[in-house]
Amino acid sequence: MIVVEDPRTLIRRWLSAESCIVVGKSIERSDSLEKALGRARFVEDYLEEGYLFARLALAKAPHARIKKIDYSKALEDPKVLRVFTYRDIPGENQVGYAVPDQPLLAEGKVRYYGEAVAVVVGKDPDSVNSAVENVFLEIEPLPALFDPLEAMERGDILIHESLGSNIAFRTKVRKGDVEEGFSKADVVVENTYRTHHQEHVYLEPEAALAIPDLENRMTVIATIQYPHLGQKIVSKVLGLPSSYIKIIAPYIGGGFGGKDDEGPLVAARAALAAYHLRRPVLLYYTREDSIQTHPKREATVIKYKSGASKDGKLTAIEVTIIHDSGAYANRGPFILWRATMHASGPYYVPNAKVDGYCVYTNKVPQGSFRGFGNPSVQFAAESQMDQLAEKLGLDPVEFRLNNMLRVGSDTITGQVLTSSVGIHEALKKLSAVSNWRVKRLEYSERRTGRTRRGIGVAVAWHGNSTSRAVPDWSNSYIHISRDGSVNVYTGIVEMGQGSPSSSHRQLVSEILGCPIDKVKVVFGTTDAPDTGATHASRGTSVGAIGIVVAAGRIRSRLESFLSEYYNVQREEIKISDGVVIVGNKIKMSWEELVALAYSKGVDLSATGYFFLPKGTFDDDAGRGFAYPAFSFIAIIVEVEVDIYTGRVKVLEVHPALAIGRVINPDAVKTQVEGAIIQGIGYTLMEKLVFADDGRIVNDNLTDYVIPTSHETPVIRNAIFVEDVWDYGPFGAKGVGEMAFIPMPAAIANAVSHALGVRITELPLTPEKVYSITKQLVG
Amino acid sequence: MYYKLPKIDYYRPKTLDEAIRLLREIDNSRVIAGGTDLLVDMKTSRVRVRALVDISSIPDLRGIEDLGRTIRIGAATRLQELIESNVVSQNLPLLKAAVESMGSWQIRNMATIGGNLCNASPAADTAPPLLAYDAEFVVIGSEGLRVIPSTKFFVGYRKTALNPCEILKEILVKKSEWSGWSYVKLGRRGGFTLSVVAVAVLAKVIDGVVYDVRIALNSVAPVPIRAYKAEEVVRGKRVSWSLIEEAANTVAGEVTPIDDVRSTSWYRREMSYQLAKDALAKALGVA
Repeated sequence: MIVVEDPRTLIRRWLSAESCIVVGKSIERSDSLEKALGRARFVEDYLEEGYLFARLALAKAPHARIKKIDYSKALEDPKVLRVFTYRDIPGENQVGYAVPDQPLLAEGKVRYYGEAVAVVVGKDPDSVNSAVENVFLEIEPLPALFDPLEAMERGDILIHESLGSNIAFRTKVRKGDVEEGFSKADVVVENTYRTHHQEHVYLEPEAALAIPDLENRMTVIATIQYPHLGQKIVSKVLGLPSSYIKIIAPYIGGGFGGKDDEGPLVAARAALAAYHLRRPVLLYYTREDSIQTHPKREATVIKYKSGASKDGKLTAIEVTIIHDSGAYANRGPFILWRATMHASGPYYVPNAKVDGYCVYTNKVPQGSFRGFGNPSVQFAAESQMDQLAEKLGLDPVEFRLNNMLRVGSDTITGQVLTSSVGIHEALKKLSAVSNWRVKRLEYSERRTGRTRRGIGVAVAWHGNSTSRAVPDWSNSYIHISRDGSVNVYTGIVEMGQGSPSSSHRQLVSEILGCPIDKVKVVFGTTDAPDTGATHASRGTSVGAIGIVVAAGRIRSRLESFLSEYYNVQREEIKISDGVVIVGNKIKMSWEELVALAYSKGVDLSATGYFFLPKGTFDDDAGRGFAYPAFSFIAIIVEVEVDIYTGRVKVLEVHPALAIGRVINPDAVKTQVEGAIIQGIGYTLMEKLVFADDGRIVNDNLTDYVIPTSHETPVIRNAIFVEDVWDYGPFGAKGVGEMAFIPMPAAIANAVSHALGVRITELPLTPEKVYSITKQLVG
Repeated sequence: MYYKLPKIDYYRPKTLDEAIRLLREIDNSRVIAGGTDLLVDMKTSRVRVRALVDISSIPDLRGIEDLGRTIRIGAATRLQELIESNVVSQNLPLLKAAVESMGSWQIRNMATIGGNLCNASPAADTAPPLLAYDAEFVVIGSEGLRVIPSTKFFVGYRKTALNPCEILKEILVKKSEWSGWSYVKLGRRGGFTLSVVAVAVLAKVIDGVVYDVRIALNSVAPVPIRAYKAEEVVRGKRVSWSLIEEAANTVAGEVTPIDDVRSTSWYRREMSYQLAKDALAKALGVA
């Protein structure tokens, strides 16, 4: 029997697996107990006696030329050892992810209040705290821009002079002929939508512990979502080969995308200090430093025009998306790409024109955050869908189903979807289960009195993997020890979502046939092969394909070995849950199989590299391949609005997901619930307040308010449509971001329904809603 | 990590005399009770002091007592103790309701009523009920005891009538028969948050006539306030919707809210009206 090493064959084999032992089950996470007991270690827990402490000195001006960085007073304290600025960087200071516009430490100019200027290192936190206040910038102030619409127009004030414009990046999608499309429309809706920033509020602020000379390398233990990217950035900043840099992401106290942006930077800043001082340095952000300096969810202005014909079909959309990028592009171009590609929502639209602008302002940069540009554009798209339905006299769910993408449809970029499009079925089921029609009618007829009820729907899609042809891959390394225990090495991190502690173990146990407690996942390390980032909902989907391939290879070797050794067909070999049966006579344990394989020279170590096949996208034409697959979600939300105070309460949320195979239902449930609550916070209460100088005023958790259990509604069990994806592990697609994406739209649609007034701007704070309802009350 | 307390001297006196002596003798010293406000301010350097005098283990400052005509609450009584006290729930239900809206269970188990009052935040939630009850604050200093009416205690933004080395000892509330009460708080979320506006109302209604009424608010002025003019509007009148409406309008005219990170002056004024209406309706028994 031939050993199968080909990734596609292996992926296909497990895609069609029907009866599973652990996949599809709510297996308990391996980290739940140590986390509940407080034994799990986070970056700060690796601190040892004698290590040095570091904090950032941040800029206190929104836009200025730096004449001098004066830290002489900081160094007066003998416990303060060094203050590092851009001058101390042995390699490159340039760390922009998408475009080369961002310094690790401010150089020449500061472009936002809160920008990192220096790393202050000392022997104890008290000294460092005082020293930070004694780092002074001598500056020549420059006029600052805070409004992206103004910044787009201004050529006299430039945030990045060399660019000649404040537009950092443009995107576009073109399909058909929008003018013709609108001419065929019987109804047209046109609106401008505005969405706001969001702070991640991960429980653990950014931190990095850099230890020089451990294993003869610079080792950095950091709050980071992509260890190999951290390795690349640290290598660039220090001017050392990547092989001399080791990054470890221990348990991380929440990421949500924020530590994908800031993680490599915090690692590089700590490494810079440790490199010079040749001593371990812990760089730690206070909550205030964290809120002031790290990138936020993008604020947007979205102009959206869409048309539909009397028979309930969309005819055209024309969309302009403007992202307030803040001082640096950071991942803005990628975020804008994603928004642009998803602008239609999961609908078939024959004619589309979408233009995106990523615009510099003198504010905190925009960055990665659960949904990555998609929640804002789905808010606009799904608000439009409700208004079109209303004008056509159609039920919002019916109208959506009429236009829903199906297998064989082409998207606005012209990509034909060949499989895995379960959203039509998901919304249909959801509508029935949630009693949508009855409630929609009931609440419409009861728009009187102080509290008004509303029910709203929103649908969203989210491309798996990176946008367009940007390369994406998966990998892992699996090694079975002589005692039958299994080590899985992956770059995927554990930041609360649980992929390394649940689904990865399930996949390996299922494929190898070993008991699940034999599987130990070593995660978040550059000692694993580059697995890509733990972002874009990929930890258990794209991120775990490498695990399927590596485990599949070893399984195939074991089967081939048994087949030859006992002279039987593969069909006669069963390895499952630690029990090995060959033919009808031979039965052994997993441990016995491993011992036998070792003694006969079977290689029980394997990597699982898989390069994701993609098409091409023509940037000039605005057409082509966007994503290898899409995850889908539909959400129905019920709200109650107190029209005398403007308070909105989300009462009940019904989710339905089409995310391919569900590897661990409980893990999916926790992701869905977390995202819903985070979405409620974003839509109803979270709001950064900027002072006139661009400083974030509410840089603490007293005044940046996030939801608590008081705001948590009834969340119904999710409906799953398992529309398997050909390359996903057992057909799994991504889920982590999904439930966040439609929440702003669903809540806004429900509130609009309750009030009979269209909402176009977020957040729906009591104050904002009251400014609307006051007109209703008179 | 960087929220470590700076180095300070810490004293835990066993008696009030000792506490007062320490405060007088040590420059730049400050009283600490629960520390839920002060420690946060110290960790973020908003407050810098050289020494803390912890009064939380002085027996004289603890406890809730029914003295017959008066209820006595020691200043270092924890908020959670107020919620769990039968004396409070039977005699001061308005105070209980306000305290229930404060912080989380963990914070209420540390924070003290005296701390909330002496911190003198305009948003202090124990203030409106105590203003409404016309409570008296007994303070002690090196000159001895003196009594400050609650309505004279808050003298300006985060300022109290306490002299530098004085300590709030206890809160006295005369018992009185109130037919209705209400605490209505609007925050930026459902709980565990500071108020945007809160209104406390006590009312004594007999046969449909308001014999007495007290209205107090927080977060609408530099200090927690009583809405005396609105009280005048209601006092002695027959309960009706139009009376409530008129009183609520008067409240909105009495407040002097500002724009800040939590809300705007406009919304606070609007909500002073609305919440006063809701609180009056409930306290006057027409809700």
